[in-house]
Amino acid sequence: MSPNYIAKRLMMIVYTLFIVSLIVFAITQILPADAAVMMLGENATQDALAALRENMGLNAPVWQQYATWLGHVLRGDLGTSLRTGQPVGPVMFEALGRSLLLAFLSIGLMLVLAIPLGIIAAVRRGKIADMVVSLISYAGVALPEFVTATLAVLVFADLMKWLPPTGYVPLTENFGSGIAHLVLPVCVISVILIAHVSRMVRSELVDVLHTDYIRAARLKGISRGKVLRRHALRNALLPTITIVALDVGYLLGGVIVVEEIFAIPGIGRQLIVAIQARDLPAIQAGVLIMAATYSIVNFIADILYAWLDKRIQYD
Amino acid sequence: MTDFIKRLLGTPQGAIGMVLVLLVLLVVLFGPMLAPHDPEALSPLTRYKGPSLAYWLGTDQYGRDIFSRLLIGARATVVMAVLATIAGTLIGALIGTASAFLGGRADELIMRTIDAVMSIPSLLFALLVVNLLGSSTINALIAVAIAFAPGMARITRSVALSVRKQDYVNAAIARGESSGYIIFREMLPNVIAPIIVEMTIRVSFAVMLFATLSFLGLGAQPPAAEWGLMVSEARRYMHLSAGILIWPSTAIAIVAVGFNLLGDGLRDALNPRT
Amino acid sequence: MTTTPDTPVLAIENYSLDYHTPSGVFHALKNIDLAIHRGEILGLVGESGSGKTSLAWSIMRFLPKNAREPGGRILLSDENLLQKTDAEIEAFRGRRISMVFQDPSTSLNPTLSLGTQLAEVLVRHRGLTRQQAWKEGEAMLAHVGLKTPAAMMNRMPHEASGGEKQRVVIASAFACNPECIIFDEPTTALDVITARQILDLFVELQAETGVASLYISHDLALVSRTASRVAVIRRGDIVEQGAVRSIFANPQQDYTRELIAAVPDPSHRLVGDALAPTDQPLVRVENVSVHYGRKPFLAALTGRKTERVAGNNAVSLSVHPGEILGIVGESGSGKSTLAKAMTGLNRFEGQIWFDGREIRSLGDMDNAYRKDVQIIFQHPDASLNPRQKIGEILSRPLKLFGNASDLDQKVGDMLEQVRLPRTHAQRYPHQLSGGEKQRVAIARAFASKPKLVICDEITSALDVSVQASIVQLLLELQKASGTAYLFITHDLNLIRQIAHRIAVMYRGNLVEIAPAADIDSPDRAEYTRRLIEAVPRAAGQYL
Repeated sequence: MSPNYIAKRLMMIVYTLFIVSLIVFAITQILPADAAVMMLGENATQDALAALRENMGLNAPVWQQYATWLGHVLRGDLGTSLRTGQPVGPVMFEALGRSLLLAFLSIGLMLVLAIPLGIIAAVRRGKIADMVVSLISYAGVALPEFVTATLAVLVFADLMKWLPPTGYVPLTENFGSGIAHLVLPVCVISVILIAHVSRMVRSELVDVLHTDYIRAARLKGISRGKVLRRHALRNALLPTITIVALDVGYLLGGVIVVEEIFAIPGIGRQLIVAIQARDLPAIQAGVLIMAATYSIVNFIADILYAWLDKRIQYD
Repeated sequence: MTDFIKRLLGTPQGAIGMVLVLLVLLVVLFGPMLAPHDPEALSPLTRYKGPSLAYWLGTDQYGRDIFSRLLIGARATVVMAVLATIAGTLIGALIGTASAFLGGRADELIMRTIDAVMSIPSLLFALLVVNLLGSSTINALIAVAIAFAPGMARITRSVALSVRKQDYVNAAIARGESSGYIIFREMLPNVIAPIIVEMTIRVSFAVMLFATLSFLGLGAQPPAAEWGLMVSEARRYMHLSAGILIWPSTAIAIVAVGFNLLGDGLRDALNPRT
Repeated sequence: MTTTPDTPVLAIENYSLDYHTPSGVFHALKNIDLAIHRGEILGLVGESGSGKTSLAWSIMRFLPKNAREPGGRILLSDENLLQKTDAEIEAFRGRRISMVFQDPSTSLNPTLSLGTQLAEVLVRHRGLTRQQAWKEGEAMLAHVGLKTPAAMMNRMPHEASGGEKQRVVIASAFACNPECIIFDEPTTALDVITARQILDLFVELQAETGVASLYISHDLALVSRTASRVAVIRRGDIVEQGAVRSIFANPQQDYTRELIAAVPDPSHRLVGDALAPTDQPLVRVENVSVHYGRKPFLAALTGRKTERVAGNNAVSLSVHPGEILGIVGESGSGKSTLAKAMTGLNRFEGQIWFDGREIRSLGDMDNAYRKDVQIIFQHPDASLNPRQKIGEILSRPLKLFGNASDLDQKVGDMLEQVRLPRTHAQRYPHQLSGGEKQRVAIARAFASKPKLVICDEITSALDVSVQASIVQLLLELQKASGTAYLFITHDLNLIRQIAHRIAVMYRGNLVEIAPAADIDSPDRAEYTRRLIEAVPRAAGQYL
């Protein structure tokens, strides 16, 4: 893999963030509400409003506002929240940290469950185990997160009282309680991921098991188990990396809903609050951070994939 | 046509999917007429009732009949989702085909931009658009359509490119056929089929996205009977009557699974070589 | 069990195989009787769908779930394989009976090194440790003619050529000194010259070890060169079997006769040698080059010069009216690239002169040019739009280049001209066989009564008997219309039968053009001579 390829991919991340910032800026610029009115309230005097607008640079032409904002961002200043008056950056990044914890745990759970399920379904294709896994797959994909989350809260928190319903406790404060509060959100996010990834793993493995080289290996007398472990799995699981990376995009969306329902102060929650409050700088920063996360994850996945699959020539 | 239907019903996915989707269509068309009760009729004395002869699926927190509300809500949820998917597919298909046709640097630029746009999760994108336009069903439809367009553009382009590589397209070029003929008569019939399959599966995502928007208060507004909204409202009262939560959830699931299966079935049925 | 030297190593007795499909029972093999003795090579020749591959799977006991065996026995040194347990069969495979597959690029795991895949057989069956197996593997690679065995062991499949990979596969098959080896079309996926080398290797190893070999192929000429006995299989039945010489000298069955007659025999010319001389060639290609690829991203930024891949490198040739010019070469030689350039499917540099007009680019190829220059492609499944009926496909050139009146009648006439029933106009391509589809493609090309038809490997994807009838059709059409052909193929025997002159290409360059009669003269370029040498000719030649 050449430096040419890495350079190309990094440029792509930069381009992505540029486009994303343009989109967000464009969307929020057409907001009917006036940022100054939002800050000072409906009853503010015209003078005060005019002064604030001047101060915030809202009278400048749009592209100039964008350029100013871009300049700030490149210097590391993500702006000040219109709602709280505090710098947006640190708040968002702290929230991101909590969301990432949620995300990592979900992906971890997903890998632990989805891959074995997919393998079992592929190896026992057409039999009962396969049908069961397929059923779980279809069911998982058919329920939006908010449904699963609400049902989970109903069953496990309200009825069975096994777990706390909502809320967040930092792990550093109280590990046990913190974990208890994370169980349901993580499981809810994982459900759809598991459904999707196990289906992909099954499909990839079934394809691999039908290839000529697997047949050749069996015809050399190598046992089924060994063929599966040594020949088939590595080829089937490699594309999983790409699929998981793409799913991160979905995961970031799911995180928004789950954090809302379980009242977890992650970046999803921050974004919802920001959107409802028309807090422009916060929205811009939040979306940018999400897009950056997605791009970086995919970049790492691509590099990992290229490193592992020596067949592919990237230049 | 009958041949096609036969093929579709031949696979288990196609058969079940077809049945479910037809069921949903019936509900959408005739729901309001079949509803035994007025969905907006409040009946405080009969709140939180379980299933009974009068109220087939029970009542909700205001004493409204859940079954009737589901039947009405089908329109809000399903029709909007289907329309949004179609709109998103049309926009995306246009962009994707143009990009494939232009090729070269233009194609690369368009695709990179699509990739960039897709780094924003669809839900977030829809939230932004709805917020900009205001919370209502129509705006949610526009939001979902715009959110789906990039993905469909990608798929259309990839299908168009693979069709373009086929020798029958080369044969047409070698005959000196006009671009118009090649695009519409040679390529499009072969491109449409996979797009229709993908679109059908996307409807299930649209249903879920739509319901999620309503759930967050940014789609349909109360007292609309939209299913996502019903689930959202159910949260406060579900420990009093689980049915308030379970029935709308089941309805969403049935529609999502139905369209998903139908899409899988269509994939096999539309393949001209099998 | 005691086996005398007379006991066949592999004996198939009255064996039948059925597949149970949703549309009924398919009888893949019917009462097969075959025997292979020690040191013997039995050739099994059949076309697609004959069941020859199913037989290989049956012997290796690798059958799909819907397979049933209504009767018969398969004996390996007198042991009935049908009665063995799965574990026993697993122990047999690779050790007592092994297999060499058709395409080394797909029969080797792309993510494991060649050495690993060779050593695992040794570890499995001969109980060696990994180190011992590795050393042993190196020795075997040297034995099969690989120059740097130690390095090759560590290579990944995509880092080795087709010929090298096939040698590794052969080494794995011979590794445990099996009693019997099945060779399933081992040279079909290789280039002509490499195929010849592999064939020679096989013959050498077989003579050395005396392993009983079943050599499956669709290529009669090839089989007749290597095997001592041959069996002809058709739709699950063994039509005829016997010593190679007697089968070729005296075929008993009609099908065998058909098959033998269909094999291209270069000494049996199908066109006259002399062509009336004309001063103006119909087509003249001058210094045409085709390049692929764009500049890499960074190079574009920094302005560095980069090498572009050349599909064609300054090729010059000409075709005379009514002439058949053959273009031969291996894959990657650029022959298809040239065809695509001439029909505007590739951008090219250089000039093309057609009928006195100069064509410099795609834009110059107007309707008149298109009418006169037609192309037929290799894969009949891909060259007909699967969503259009045959009638619609054939009416297009009529609409473009002729008048659109009376279409139904004309389409029917076209179908009859290529010996297809008129009713085919109502069918879709997937309802036709490969040969029928190719006839439709030919009819489509001739619809505009062109002066030049470019045939880009149009028979390569067809069975040999179908190929023969297609070639016959082409020659008839040529006699009737005086069309010139640019016939691209890798089958040297075929082109020697039908071409007036032959152009040889190698890696994008034109090596030389020579009259067909002189193609095997010692005056030819070295590459040409190597090519001629490598091609197996039918045993019929020797009789």
